Amino acid sequence: MNRRTLLGGLLATASVPALAACSGGITSLDGGGSGGGGGGSSKNGVTIGTANFTENQVLGHLYAAALEAAGVKTNVRPNLGTREILIPALKGGDIDLLPEYQGALLHYLDPKAEATEEGEMQNALAMRLPRGLQILPYGRAEDSDAFVVTRETAKKYGLKSLADLAKHNGKLVIGAAAEVKKRTVGAVGLKDVYGVEFKEFKSLDSSGPLVKGALRKGDVDVANLFTTDTDIAAEHWVVLTDPKNLVPGQHIVPLIADRKADSTVRKALARLGALLTTAQLTELNRLVDKDKKDPEDVAQDWAEQHGITKK
Amino acid sequence: MYELFKDLGAWLVSGDQWTGPDGIGHRLVEHLQYSLLATLVAAAIALPVGLLIGHTGRGAFVAINLASFGRALPTVGLVVLVFLASGLSMWPVYIALVALAVPSIVTNTYAGMTAVDPEVRDAARGQGMRAHQVLLQVELPLALPLIMTGLRLALIQVVATATIAAYVSFGGLGRYVFDGLAQRDLVQVLGGAVLVAVVAVVLDLALAALQRALFRHRPSPQA
Repeated sequence: MNRRTLLGGLLATASVPALAACSGGITSLDGGGSGGGGGGSSKNGVTIGTANFTENQVLGHLYAAALEAAGVKTNVRPNLGTREILIPALKGGDIDLLPEYQGALLHYLDPKAEATEEGEMQNALAMRLPRGLQILPYGRAEDSDAFVVTRETAKKYGLKSLADLAKHNGKLVIGAAAEVKKRTVGAVGLKDVYGVEFKEFKSLDSSGPLVKGALRKGDVDVANLFTTDTDIAAEHWVVLTDPKNLVPGQHIVPLIADRKADSTVRKALARLGALLTTAQLTELNRLVDKDKKDPEDVAQDWAEQHGITKK
Repeated sequence: MYELFKDLGAWLVSGDQWTGPDGIGHRLVEHLQYSLLATLVAAAIALPVGLLIGHTGRGAFVAINLASFGRALPTVGLVVLVFLASGLSMWPVYIALVALAVPSIVTNTYAGMTAVDPEVRDAARGQGMRAHQVLLQVELPLALPLIMTGLRLALIQVVATATIAAYVSFGGLGRYVFDGLAQRDLVQVLGGAVLVAVVAVVLDLALAALQRALFRHRPSPQA
């Protein structure tokens, strides 16, 4: 546990120059302890980190477009990895801003957290965030976990909601990423909340080629996918409804270092959050995944079409 | 650091951890099964090819390059590719492991065959030995040390890579590595990794012992 106290100490020292800069004080201290992420306010630019999947990279470039339009210099560092890498990078000052998801972030910070409603989660997140980091208001767009079956499976077993799965306990096979086996939003919660017991749990990937391939070929009956996965609509798969709210809201929420969260940044990101819808985000994902467009171009085009940036 | 090793030690020796379908015992058997079967299949393909090109001296360019191509294939990519074609089965895993093991066996067998002194070969022919007699009674025994090296190399690679079975939902020791990573359980990841390393080393030592036993009565064991 020595590392944690050490990190806390570093964060504490890092916040001193940030405070000085905010009060318009000694500018030479700017960024003194905040590492590669640059100085103490958004005037020195904002470094945006993104995770290792398409949608997060698109979101990173959308954030960049919104901030650039507001006169803030940005630098996007795509594909940095998973939350296990990104959050420490954010704490250490290597990056300043990160597109996050409410429920997933909350689960990362506190695996036992029970909040599932957007407002509650926002509060729960604010309480649990490490020092020096904050979340901004969440956007309209949402990318949550979905439990999906093929149309044929839905018809064969009469499946509409997650509760219907319990009628076929011990018969169905679920495919999902390995972590889903032990997660509340996964096998554990499905059993506790809906009383569902699967015949088998197959560890595959997160909404990737393996789990979708297995669903397509009938090797698994139920698959855990992201709601913004374009294949759900394309393949006419059925998303099982969640009447007991097992799956928490996963609205997209900016996670940012305190020193960069000035009013310019807050306003620009709030405007973006209010404009971008889930359907649009799904389409942007499709453009990158299926049409092989560049995430940056896709984000720029969207920002132009929606009046965030001028042509 | 000390805590981590203590937890790792506790994980490795706990009775619960060794029993049941997710226990080390079961996972170990699965891992050995994948590794040995893949290596045997690879040997069944690669040994005849290596012996043939070594004996005739023909087709070496094509065979060695094809084998190297197999070596250059990214294993995870191959698994996903075969998976998308075949669906959820052990085929993707076995195909990827065999593709990984074949190159070392082919190239080492070929190298062993070409290292046979041409004068020895000529002498064998001169004594009236037929082609298959030269191959089996002269060339093969002389090339055997290098062939065994190829097999050992292939087996180590396969044991280390058989963790990939867990990537497509199957068992083996890779289960601990993949599940541990997904669940942020470092002890489980390390436990799996340590077990894989131990299995690889033990199997290699066993093959080395076998090799020594086979060549005990040879006047010159050096290739």
